[in-house]
Amino acid sequence: MSNTINLTLHIWRQKNLNDKGRFEVYKAADIDTDMSFLEMLDVVNERLTKEGKEPIAFDHDCREGICGMCAGVVNGRPHGHLPQTTLCQLHLRHFKDNETIVIEPLRSKAFPVVKDLVVDRSAFDRIIASGGFISVKTGAAPEAHTVPIRRENAELAMDAAACIGCGACVAACPNASAMLFVGAKVSHIKLLPQGQIEAQERVRKMVAQMDKEGFGNCSNAYACEAACPKGISVSTIARMNKEYFAAKLTE
Amino acid sequence: MVCPFLCAQSSIQKKQITAVTGLFLILFVLGHLAGNLFIYLGHEAFNGYAQKLAGLRPGLYLVETVLLLIFLIHLYLTALLVWENRQARPVAYRQWQMIGEHSIASRLMPWTGTVIIAFVVWHLRDFTFADGDGPRSILSDGQSYGLYGVVYNAFADPWHSALYILAMAALGFHLSHGIQSFAQTLGFYHPRYTPLIRKMSNGLGLLIALAYSSIPAAVALGCLAVR
Amino acid sequence: MEMLNGKIPAGPLKDKWTSYKAKLRLVNPANKRKYRIIVVGTGLAGASAAASLSELGYNVEVFCIQDSPRRAHSISAQGGINAAKNYPNDGDSVYRLFYDTIKGGDFRSREANVYRLAEVSNGIIDQCVAQGVPFAREYSGYLDNRSFGGAQVSRTFYARGQTGQQLLLGAYSALMKESVRGAVRIFPRTEMLDLVVADGKARGIVTRHLITGKIEAHAADAVVLATGGYSNVFYLSTNAKACNMTAIWRAHKKGAFFANPCFTQIHPTCIPVHGDYQSKLTLMSESLRNDGRVWVPKKKGDVRRPSEIPEEERDYFLERKYPSFGNLVPRDVASRNAKVQCDEGKGVGTTGQAVYLDLGESIQRLGAGEIQERYGNLFEMYERITGVDAYKEPMMIYPALHYTMGGLWVDYNLMSNLPGLFVIGEANFSDHGANRLGASALMQGLADGYFILPYTIGDYLASQPWGKTDTDAFEFKAAQDEAGGRIQQLLNLKGHKTVDEFHRELGRLLWDKCGMSRREDGLKDALKKIPAIREEFWQDVCVPGTGEDLNQSLERAGRVADFLEFAEVMVLDALHRRESCGGHFREESQTPDGEALRDDAHFSYAAAWEFQGAGKEPVLHKEEFHFEEVRPSTRSYK
Repeated sequence: MSNTINLTLHIWRQKNLNDKGRFEVYKAADIDTDMSFLEMLDVVNERLTKEGKEPIAFDHDCREGICGMCAGVVNGRPHGHLPQTTLCQLHLRHFKDNETIVIEPLRSKAFPVVKDLVVDRSAFDRIIASGGFISVKTGAAPEAHTVPIRRENAELAMDAAACIGCGACVAACPNASAMLFVGAKVSHIKLLPQGQIEAQERVRKMVAQMDKEGFGNCSNAYACEAACPKGISVSTIARMNKEYFAAKLTE
Repeated sequence: MVCPFLCAQSSIQKKQITAVTGLFLILFVLGHLAGNLFIYLGHEAFNGYAQKLAGLRPGLYLVETVLLLIFLIHLYLTALLVWENRQARPVAYRQWQMIGEHSIASRLMPWTGTVIIAFVVWHLRDFTFADGDGPRSILSDGQSYGLYGVVYNAFADPWHSALYILAMAALGFHLSHGIQSFAQTLGFYHPRYTPLIRKMSNGLGLLIALAYSSIPAAVALGCLAVR
Repeated sequence: MEMLNGKIPAGPLKDKWTSYKAKLRLVNPANKRKYRIIVVGTGLAGASAAASLSELGYNVEVFCIQDSPRRAHSISAQGGINAAKNYPNDGDSVYRLFYDTIKGGDFRSREANVYRLAEVSNGIIDQCVAQGVPFAREYSGYLDNRSFGGAQVSRTFYARGQTGQQLLLGAYSALMKESVRGAVRIFPRTEMLDLVVADGKARGIVTRHLITGKIEAHAADAVVLATGGYSNVFYLSTNAKACNMTAIWRAHKKGAFFANPCFTQIHPTCIPVHGDYQSKLTLMSESLRNDGRVWVPKKKGDVRRPSEIPEEERDYFLERKYPSFGNLVPRDVASRNAKVQCDEGKGVGTTGQAVYLDLGESIQRLGAGEIQERYGNLFEMYERITGVDAYKEPMMIYPALHYTMGGLWVDYNLMSNLPGLFVIGEANFSDHGANRLGASALMQGLADGYFILPYTIGDYLASQPWGKTDTDAFEFKAAQDEAGGRIQQLLNLKGHKTVDEFHRELGRLLWDKCGMSRREDGLKDALKKIPAIREEFWQDVCVPGTGEDLNQSLERAGRVADFLEFAEVMVLDALHRRESCGGHFREESQTPDGEALRDDAHFSYAAAWEFQGAGKEPVLHKEEFHFEEVRPSTRSYK
């Protein structure tokens, strides 16, 4: 059922933050098409190790598309060309024999390259820390059924909350903007009654932090939506824009 | 004073100010178009409209100043946003695929915008500040037809018309992204209406470009010749 | 031998926690910030504990190996979280949740702990809803529940198939909130390499920053380990690649007892192994068994396509052997039976290590649309991984390692035998006995972190002066030097085999000898082979690069070195427990018709192992289980 292919990989190698970085070419021969993209990199790394060379550093963890750790730009698209698929879930049967594949890190000023394909996405954490939460302390919660929530809103909130924080939106955006990530978090919380109390402060602070991190501006190209492995809609950006407008008017 | 103020705004505010100024500019474009279309009612109607407009001065100066200010703010902010966007990705991708529904129009915005600026300068020199009774207003029968004559003569030159139509295409393209962008940036989203707005935005952009371009086309086809 | 004391409070089961809490010592609010607490791990247990402790005013330092606390492996949990809310009015109660959990664990856990877990379960749901966790809701706007294996009531709360993710994002957001207030300092991409013990108490940890390679010491008044389980000792499991046991293993080597290491859980419905390159296994929700029928060909070595095998030549072995529960038998039973079929040579697929899970009949009965509605995402996932359209062909499944019930031994306060070392979540051994029920892992992680540890740790700290040690102390320097030396040793080996090659070899051995079913000779064989692999590892492993920057091979090498030491204890524990219970099936201990046979007379205890030095047999300590409220019964699913 499975067969093997040969690939030529152009992979970004960068020793550390200060290194300029360059592409290097690797042959990946006899690759089983049932492998995932990351398993292919594993195989390449095993071979490199045996040759006494340093393997390619890349982030990965759960390998089932939920932790958001893996990311990389494959042939010019974050997570590769399949819609709503993370890199770890992309399998090699979607590539052709003798294909040349270019693998680059997520590129953005706000995501400095740490090594090879590994980038520093702590900017996302700082954005969440600036206001992406409901300030409820442990033990302070009322009984869960005290406030019913419209099912439709709960579903929309879940759609937005599905974000895995992988950074594909930033990588895909022509301006390296983080609006989809921030919009998703603002929307998730704003759609729930518990999120109303701090809504205005939250959106103001999160946007301020986003700007501080050096992300670009949104130009409504909607590339983020197309690249998002969880299919998060740009409607979340619109919702954030509205919230922000209202928050600024009443400031 | 204005520039530091604008500069200090957040990314979303800059965009929202750009969107609002853009809306005013769209309204101006539509109003201007309505005036232009008087040309199909003959030279009396067209010149009459032009004179009526001129008669509104000095109030018109105020409107023009505000319009200029809006235009400059729109320009300044977009330039600033574009500059910031360039900073946000210091190392470019080696390979890059354009994805996303509005990627092409969005990426062309700075370019179509630049074409529009160049056009506006040319256009002001060409028509707005043209001598309505001068030699450029005289048509083949040897009589002056005022602004009507100036327009007719200008578009009788195929190069002039071609440049004008090109500029209008840029304007249409700019608006096709701009209109739906306005809705998104100010936070309007609805699962049913947003796709409509996006379609309408494209349609309106095309319509505006076509309507403006119809005048040089009509001149070329001889429809507006004075008998 | 001295019996271990679980420090279970006296009094009736129902009142134990309440009256105990009321008597716990407290730390004065002004003094709380003088105490420093280290939390290692930011999964559900770690993140919720760190956030709650910071809210109380303690100084908290929290460590995780990922680039962000939000990526801990709790995020992968799909199904849901149990609570005794009884919203569906179907007869649920704290007692029933307690009883189901202790029975599901095959009566190998502490009554008092399990009861407390059930007791605080409702508060977790309240807390999560307040944090903005978007649980599934009914049209009325109230929370929806679904049923899960091992229970006859609907008590599972869920957020689509991403409950773990949503709960973790809730705890993570609470943690991030505290990081701004300044009470929590987060150290991402930082791995704990050792525990520092001074004066017999846990006093800090030694870490390595994964980007800079810097080895640092951190001192504290208490250390909390929330670093998850050890499924990855088997190499292939459903755990994330970075999941490891270095933290708990190092703590064990420093004196913390390791309890019930042989209690591992195997999940029946995973996507089978494809080839040697396979890096991990993917779980598919058990709910598929509601509408799917499990079968193998009756004939051995039948290579026909499933559609070419006529009905009468198929063996629906679960339905045949368990007429009343059929395809819905618990995880351990379903897994073991699949293995039996494959061992008999009836397995399917290229490797022969798979059985069919066939939804064909349900598709015919209900229509493809209805099936898509119920399981669409699972079918998609299956196709994405295998390239096979499961609407046309039956799925292939095989069991895989999924969760480990064993872990560091803790008392009722969640403190290990080392004073000041607390262990929460999957890393401890406490609540699930020999088998965990579905949707209970999330419950335990959050119960420990939000509602139990914050109380019990205060009681410990109240008896301790703050700031007793700092990192200049001898013990810190020694631990730091040792950790650095070990890294250098690994880098200097420059052998011929990669880390993964050793890991795979170990995994295969354990899966064969100490996996779904275990036998004395197999276990003894494994006990011989493990030290050999370990020895070879320390002579011939190849770790390229340096220790001064991001070096993923080096990270893995350190973790695999610890797995190689731990594996022996796990096998030893499996060997000593000559009974079958929950996930631990000893072939010598089964009923005439092949079911697990528990031996309450001899094994109704937690086996806690004490480290004696490398290569030396650990010492066994026992904590006898006393059942005051429930009577251990035999599980039957016939």
